[in-house]
Amino acid sequence: MSAADLRVDLGRGCALPNPVGVASGTFGYGFEFEQLVDIQQLGAIYTKGTTPLPREGNPPPRVAETAGGMLNSIGLQNPGVEHVARDYAPRFAQWRVPVIVNVAAATVEEYVHCLRVLDSAGGIAGYELNISCPNIAHGLDFGLDPVAAGRVVAAARAATERCLVVKLSPNVTDVGAVARAVEDAGADAVSAVNTFVGMKVHLGIRGPVLPGRGTGGLSGPAIKPLALAAVARVRAAVRIPVVGVGGIASVGDALEFFVAGADAVQIGTANFADPGVAPRVAAELADAAERLHLSRLTELRWQPAPTPA
Amino acid sequence: MSAAVPVSDLRQARDETGEVIAVEELGGGLVELTAHLPWLAAHAIAGQFAQLRCGPGPVPLLRRPFSVAWVEGQRCSFVFERVGVGTRLLAAMRPGDMLQSLGPLGTGFTLRRGVRSVVCVAGGLGCAPFPLLAAQAAMCETPRVVVLHGAATAARLYPADRFVRGLDAVEVREATDDGTRGHHGLVVDLLTRELLDGAGAMYACGPNPMLAATVRALAGTGAPPVCEVSLEAPMGCGFGTCLGCALPVVRGEEHRWALCCREGPVMAADDVDWDALRALPPAHVA
Repeated sequence: MSAADLRVDLGRGCALPNPVGVASGTFGYGFEFEQLVDIQQLGAIYTKGTTPLPREGNPPPRVAETAGGMLNSIGLQNPGVEHVARDYAPRFAQWRVPVIVNVAAATVEEYVHCLRVLDSAGGIAGYELNISCPNIAHGLDFGLDPVAAGRVVAAARAATERCLVVKLSPNVTDVGAVARAVEDAGADAVSAVNTFVGMKVHLGIRGPVLPGRGTGGLSGPAIKPLALAAVARVRAAVRIPVVGVGGIASVGDALEFFVAGADAVQIGTANFADPGVAPRVAAELADAAERLHLSRLTELRWQPAPTPA
Repeated sequence: MSAAVPVSDLRQARDETGEVIAVEELGGGLVELTAHLPWLAAHAIAGQFAQLRCGPGPVPLLRRPFSVAWVEGQRCSFVFERVGVGTRLLAAMRPGDMLQSLGPLGTGFTLRRGVRSVVCVAGGLGCAPFPLLAAQAAMCETPRVVVLHGAATAARLYPADRFVRGLDAVEVREATDDGTRGHHGLVVDLLTRELLDGAGAMYACGPNPMLAATVRALAGTGAPPVCEVSLEAPMGCGFGTCLGCALPVVRGEEHRWALCCREGPVMAADDVDWDALRALPPAHVA
């Protein structure tokens, strides 16, 4: 039989050569990893969250390890959208791997401003709207409410012709409702999910390890069952592509997200412990598709029985 | 980031897996692990570190950073104590087990030819980079390398002969908090004017408060032309991507965060914002 077709179309010309991307905040803008591994084997790079102005980030400690997980409160340290458009985008244009710039902002106007600045640059395949950063003041506001989420996505949709992926927060009652709202507002795809709000406490200091509010975003294998449930919920709520993310560290993990309803995946925290993991999973996914006699990975998708009303 | 800031070269780093050769108990809880890691052995500069995978499972999830303590042929050694799940797993490794290492990472100490002497100040596990530093300084034809080493008690001192490793140039002076060996007091007390006069460099590694005390002790004396400290911070990836290991630095009026894993762990003492560093919780809290 012929090899499986692993390409993924996220919409508006954002065509990924394979489904395995790297999650925002775990790969910078690709320049460090470029020196360590072959990034051209990736399906996509979702960049560090990029804000209207440069941000210095939060005071340390910014990371804390937990059982099978990692809490972070980086505070969106990044060089700002102008710098990314001017200095980084021309470097992205040299790569075969599509680069999807993650954008974070505090107001609708700021999101629109960021997209206009980035739209002026080449080398960018699309945008991932971060409407759910748990580590900056007001950063969660849009992602927590379907109406607010729809409002920011509608404005973003009007501002750009490029592909818009919206990254969903799991820290909500019904992630499906937010997913449906952003689909209705014109999102081309959604990624599910961002980190879960968590806290690590140190008995010696009788308080949390992370400063400020003491909370951070939990990622890593510990959240995989939670992320799978969120992907299944989102899959049932929307028709647009779903990018599954949360605790993927192996090809087996990635396949589980296709079962739960994903069209593509992102590898996140695992990149820190194993910088070669994402290119390796991309290669192994092709082998797995052949071994499982799949022509497309979405053939793995679970079809839930209709639930009684 | 201004172009003048030295940043580690990630193209020097490689992920390699090699056999554990030995795991030695040095007494007082210190462990020295030696593994066959040819790439690291060929490229590590004293002060640089490797990210070691401590076990197969999701606990611990992240690798742990360790200074390259010693290089012999294609073998590298690391010195640590069992302070958490990662170091306990490493200490439980046996010869023949496989160890995965990403390195060398971070900045190393600046070694210069043509200096009369260098002084190393090692607090506790801050001993780790100095066996290799002493050997590399000797390779730079430094005729005198003085290692000042302090620990809580005699048993927790890194063995002096492992700093020396047969090199005539290396001399060790010890201090213990409880007076069980050497000077009864702090290692910084050993940093005398006699040692600093004419020294080409002062290198220090240890807990951040000890480094601050060392730098304070230099004020007023004729500080050597190179004064470098190796700092610690809770670290995620070790190669500048997670942005977790921020440390406060200052140049002129500009205060900012620098990544311990890329602009450090070795930094010029003048670049560290010591007041801001003192205000942070100790690295072990994370």
